[in-house]
Amino acid sequence: MAKEYDHLFKLLIIGDSGVGKSSLLVRFADNTFSGSYITTIGVDFKIRTVIVDGEKVKLQIWDTAGQERFRTITSTYYRGTHGVIVVYDVSNGDSFANVKRWLHEIDQNCEVVNRILVGNKNDAPDRKVVLTEDAQRFADQMGIQLYETSAKDNINVEQMFMSITKQVLRNKKETKERQAHQNNDVVNLRKGHSKGAKRKCC
Amino acid sequence: MELSAIMKDKLNAGDNVVALHEGVLLQGWSPKAHRLLALVERNLSFGLFVFTTSRNPPQAFTDLTINFVVPIDSDFKCDIDSLSAESNSDIYINLSARNFKLFMGMDSGHETNHFFNELSRSMDLYLKNQQTLDFQWLKKYNINDIDLELGLMMNINGDNTSNNIITANMAVAENDISFPTGTQTLSSRESVIQRQMILSEEQYTNAQNFRIYIGTWNVNGQPTLSSLNDWLTCDSEPPDIYAIGFQELDLSKEAFLFNDSPREEEWLQAVTKSLNSKGNYKKVSLVRLVGMMLIVFVKNKHMDHVKNVATDTVGTGIMGKLGNKGGVAVRMDFHNTSLCFVNTHLAAHVEEYERRNQDYQNICSRMVFSNFIPPKTVKDHNQVYWFGDLNYRITEMDAISVKDLVRKNNFKNVLEADQLKQQHRAGNVFKGYKEGSINFLPTYKYDPGTNDWDSSEKNRAPAWCDRILWRGNSIKQLAYRSHPNLLISDHKPVSALFESEVRVVDLTKYRKIHEHIMKKLDKAENEYLPQVMVDNTEIIFHNVKFMEPQLKELTVANTGQVPVQFEFIKKLDDSTYCKEWLRIEPFMSFIDPGEKCDITLEVLIDKKSAYKMISGQDKLYDILVLHLDGGKDIFITVTGNYERSCFGCSLETLCYLKVPIKNIPFGKLMELENNKSNMTSDPYPVPKEVWYLVDHLYRHGLKQEHLFEHSGLRSEFVQIRNWLDNGTPDALPGSVHSVAEALLILLDSTSEPIIPYNLHATCLSAVSYYSQCKQIISQLPERSKNVFLYLCAFLQELLNHVNDNKLDVKTIASVFGEIFIRDPPRSRSDKSGHTRTSMSRKKTNFVYHFLVNDQSDLIINTSF
Repeated sequence: MAKEYDHLFKLLIIGDSGVGKSSLLVRFADNTFSGSYITTIGVDFKIRTVIVDGEKVKLQIWDTAGQERFRTITSTYYRGTHGVIVVYDVSNGDSFANVKRWLHEIDQNCEVVNRILVGNKNDAPDRKVVLTEDAQRFADQMGIQLYETSAKDNINVEQMFMSITKQVLRNKKETKERQAHQNNDVVNLRKGHSKGAKRKCC
Repeated sequence: MELSAIMKDKLNAGDNVVALHEGVLLQGWSPKAHRLLALVERNLSFGLFVFTTSRNPPQAFTDLTINFVVPIDSDFKCDIDSLSAESNSDIYINLSARNFKLFMGMDSGHETNHFFNELSRSMDLYLKNQQTLDFQWLKKYNINDIDLELGLMMNINGDNTSNNIITANMAVAENDISFPTGTQTLSSRESVIQRQMILSEEQYTNAQNFRIYIGTWNVNGQPTLSSLNDWLTCDSEPPDIYAIGFQELDLSKEAFLFNDSPREEEWLQAVTKSLNSKGNYKKVSLVRLVGMMLIVFVKNKHMDHVKNVATDTVGTGIMGKLGNKGGVAVRMDFHNTSLCFVNTHLAAHVEEYERRNQDYQNICSRMVFSNFIPPKTVKDHNQVYWFGDLNYRITEMDAISVKDLVRKNNFKNVLEADQLKQQHRAGNVFKGYKEGSINFLPTYKYDPGTNDWDSSEKNRAPAWCDRILWRGNSIKQLAYRSHPNLLISDHKPVSALFESEVRVVDLTKYRKIHEHIMKKLDKAENEYLPQVMVDNTEIIFHNVKFMEPQLKELTVANTGQVPVQFEFIKKLDDSTYCKEWLRIEPFMSFIDPGEKCDITLEVLIDKKSAYKMISGQDKLYDILVLHLDGGKDIFITVTGNYERSCFGCSLETLCYLKVPIKNIPFGKLMELENNKSNMTSDPYPVPKEVWYLVDHLYRHGLKQEHLFEHSGLRSEFVQIRNWLDNGTPDALPGSVHSVAEALLILLDSTSEPIIPYNLHATCLSAVSYYSQCKQIISQLPERSKNVFLYLCAFLQELLNHVNDNKLDVKTIASVFGEIFIRDPPRSRSDKSGHTRTSMSRKKTNFVYHFLVNDQSDLIINTSF
């Protein structure tokens, strides 16, 4: 019988309070949006299963409290994370300025992790203060992908989550391949060794 | 509104709720998945409805979702089991219908009895009226929703095109395995998806017709012919699939004993060569048992859609086992439809039709494709084509009449005497199979090489031994014929051409529906995560005072669908889930859906934490992590302000405080505690608070019995604390016992005891020698030494009145020993009881020296 999933990945959403982390998650997991704002006080998760290149990937997506006072606590939830989604609000310059701090937070708490930068609330051009060019330049500098999304209007949300998922999956496969290579080397060495031993016997 | 009325709104007009009752599913993700059962009637026919409720109890018909609908007909069964009770429910109900199984628990009681009385009445009524009943009305109910619990209960066998699904509207589940009785593991989420995919098959597949050619020939062990075109290429249009069966391919001993035959390859070559040349074919499978061989070909272009090919053979010959008789079969999934081809050679001899029936039954039960879980049998296929030398003969009619009638093409009358037709009609064999009308001459028995009837002595009546039957929907037979020009055998080959409807998957639609189902399951999984609401995530304690506990309540409500286990967990590298001054009760518990749990948070700043609050080492601030088992974490912030008090201050600090502590700013106090302040004024030799308390005892307590032995009153302690901290002009309140206790607490709340922790061990090892003890005292920081000597002088005075106060020097020495020589924090718990007793004795001895000896020499050197 087929397995429930081929891969299980943990994703983490971080970023300043009020940038729309929970809304992105709810949009992706339940395809709903609520206009009323409820601060996340704690960490919550939802699951969603997606198919990437014919493989079933189960995502467990953690949504964290963005408030400053919880920062040290939320950092403990970075453990075991495969991918981190760093969110800012395109209509809030401070939230973009803080992205650096959040990226730093990732470096402090995760070893190797896939990251993606997300400018949310990209649905009201007149309120947009973080220009795409600036964000893109920054993302390029940091070597991460940028997505501008709107959880409210369901723009780019699916694409963004799929992108980080693919990134995580690709990374996993590359790591596996590398390990397989190393294992091969080990086997080869052993083979060579045993051959040598045999020759001695003869 | 009453439940039956709400339900009536949910049902179509004219459908009546007869009885309804709630039960608990005994399998599924959540331990308590409630389902509502309703018995519904229309024109004396009954149906059982299974509902989920989004609110309990439901308030409106929108709260109800229909999960299953089953007719109460001959397939409906209901077993009640009250023996296997292990959970809260008292009785167990096992309901089953043709495509439906449900295992539930219910409370035993009047309502349950009523429900099952009505249910059994409806079953009786069915038996009485079954001829006239019409269940069409049940099909008007749309069942679209996934019942996760039920889905998980059903043991789906991966058969992606179950025959047993009767109507698209009826959500059904196939389950041939005996039903679990409470402990069987659940099938996985994946099988729920598969099941749902089966149910929505029509939405992502299109019906497409394919031509299937079936051929059968008993070749009587003859070598192959150069061309079989007359038989295999008799239709101009090439079929999509060929299934060609042989019997008596090889009658040699080798074939029989070793199942090894050169004929296999010969005939395969001949067949391959003779397939319709307008089509390109690829061999899907070849299976042979002794003389029975079956080859299946599919057009090249369809090969990608042929999956899960499997074969099996069954011998029913000598001893019911050997392969001279029996069957061989090939099964495959073609697009989304499962096909099974069965080529059989049943028992011979005219009179042996019952053995032939038996052979058929044996093949049905023993032909198993065991690489499926669970294994598939012939009947587990959408379409079955069963053919071969079935060997049924003509009885009840002599050979001459038969020959005469068939010569006149009057097959109908002869077929009346055909054993297979007779047995089939009687339901003894090939139940559920169809056969097309026979318009060709009997295929047996001829003189080989001719079209002449068998001329041997036996003079048997010719018979249609070689037949083709089928089972399944949307199969149209286009031709059914024999091929008399092939002369080598005593049998003629037979063939049939079918136009069969196959479900072809529309990949785009398939993906869309698959995704949709996954999303629904994800959604359900998310809904089944524990969920709670907390009424307050920021708890503020105002004006917390030393030794005065404050309580706040926090309510956690289970707003989800599953029971929740919550627990306050440690965060980061903390060793406890909350600060030492906070107590949470309960810190872990269970909450059932819809229930609440009140949690009490108690803040108490006592002697262990007070000095940390004063010095700024700690503050009234903590973030608690409320963890839901298998779910989210909620952060609860606890804050507040602590009112400073002399309790918790160091003796040094207190000596510098010439005004009540209330008048000292917090910052100043903190500086003093951390020795960062330069006080210009001279300090008091002993803290005024110590002096106030001792002076009070000196004046009012010297003759008090059991002073320092009786504890004071909490309320009086609060008054004394306020008096000391606020500096009221009134007299010191409280009884002498309370004042005595306040003195002990004051001395016990400092961050360092009078004998500092670093001298603790030295002190205990010096107890035997008074001189050494004195030495230690003389080395103490000045304020500590002052307080020590001051208190000893007071205690000596107190002991001068033993006649009145009945005090005993040892007891007093023991009480103050614990205070003066306080154990370093976290050392007490590591010591055994024995060590502790010996330590206590040493402390007592230490103080004892200073209570019985004159200390004027020490006092001279101090600056009182």
